[in-house]
Amino acid sequence: MSGPTIDANFALNIALLLMLVAIAFAVVRTRSLLAAILMMSVYSLASAAWLMVADAADVAFTEAVVGAGASTVILLGAILLARGEAERVNWKLMIAPGALAVVVGAVLIYAAGGLPNYGDPASPANSHVGRAYLEQTYGDIGAPNVVTAVLASYRGFDTLGETVVIFAACIGVALMLGFGPRATLAPPTEIPNDQHVVLRVVAKLLIPLIALFALYVQFHGDLGAGGGFQAGVIMAVAIILHALVFGLRATMAAVPVRLARTVAALGVVVYAGVGVVCIINGGGFLDYDYLFSPRIEAMIPANLLGDPSHEHHWGQHFGILFIEIGVLLTVSATIVTMFYGFAGRTLETIEAERRG
Amino acid sequence: MLVAAGVAGLVVAMSLMIVRAMIGPSHYDRILAANSFGTKTVLLIALMGFLFGRPDFLDIALVYALINFVTTIALMKFFRYRTLARPLGAMAREAGKDG
Repeated sequence: MSGPTIDANFALNIALLLMLVAIAFAVVRTRSLLAAILMMSVYSLASAAWLMVADAADVAFTEAVVGAGASTVILLGAILLARGEAERVNWKLMIAPGALAVVVGAVLIYAAGGLPNYGDPASPANSHVGRAYLEQTYGDIGAPNVVTAVLASYRGFDTLGETVVIFAACIGVALMLGFGPRATLAPPTEIPNDQHVVLRVVAKLLIPLIALFALYVQFHGDLGAGGGFQAGVIMAVAIILHALVFGLRATMAAVPVRLARTVAALGVVVYAGVGVVCIINGGGFLDYDYLFSPRIEAMIPANLLGDPSHEHHWGQHFGILFIEIGVLLTVSATIVTMFYGFAGRTLETIEAERRG
Repeated sequence: MLVAAGVAGLVVAMSLMIVRAMIGPSHYDRILAANSFGTKTVLLIALMGFLFGRPDFLDIALVYALINFVTTIALMKFFRYRTLARPLGAMAREAGKDG
């Protein structure tokens, strides 16, 4: 990198981090929950932009789709069930937590002085494990994106754990919000006579494109930024957009609640199933080199991914692909279940009243 | 140099949007500021892709644009109807009892 580029990088870092501090203060200060959610969405966008400056494209991707997209919509659904404003808290009650926060912050800032410099090649993280990953990934796995290779193959067991955690969140939300009506914020009695033609047409155009983009992120995960987590959230956002514009009833007809819950479990089964297949073929759990028996591996055409002269690790390639599909299923179904849980409350109230 | 100037301009514009989102005064101002901030983030990332010679940043700029659209619709819908469940537009009158 030349001199001016590094300077621009530094200036961008400072500007974006200052923005993050300012937004965080604004979130704490405001008592309107809607304003707080808005500021948190802005915070996610700014922090994702900062992560891009730090060249962590995969993390920035996740922050953008989860922080700015899914969680904003789900939080909006949550404040439907609450009062619109936070309670005023007596300042005396804030002294102890405030002091604690200051102490922890001071300790962290003090400890930050002992960290190695950003990007220092001699730092422990870069000199042992990190360097080994960078040097060996292409030979071991053949995936250009080292982040995906580490996430899905080297540390595949951890990622299975994360997928199970997401599935647990799905179960939790379904248990807490899936049963019984409890809406507290009534909708306005008179329905405004709006047409929203532009919105409906644009949404109809955009939903397939968002779904297509999710599939692109999914299948491109081992080449560029992205993977199952990001693709799952993007897919869920497409379904949420459908619900926002065409109504929850139409969406629930297309993607029933029961289907969403089943798919969330199915994703974990697909992921763990890949691991079991590896065991059956003589390897360890999630050891993708043993995913295919030699007979099946011989049946894969050498030019399946273009260049036949390059040696391919088919087990690794398909193993990562399959577990990413499992992650996609669990993540998208979980986000959709959460959205149904929060947004569906008012609808369920009325349904229950009709039945009762 | 031109790209760097563009980035600097965007950072200034983003700061102004944050100020607007903080002081409000109405929720509409905040929503507009948040949406505009999202648009500027898309531009910033696209420009950064050129500045750092990483054209694949455009993928991420694209996902921001899509996500920002959905978030803004959710906010506006919440604000006008106080529900996320109801359909918008012509169908709303037929199925208007949905809440």
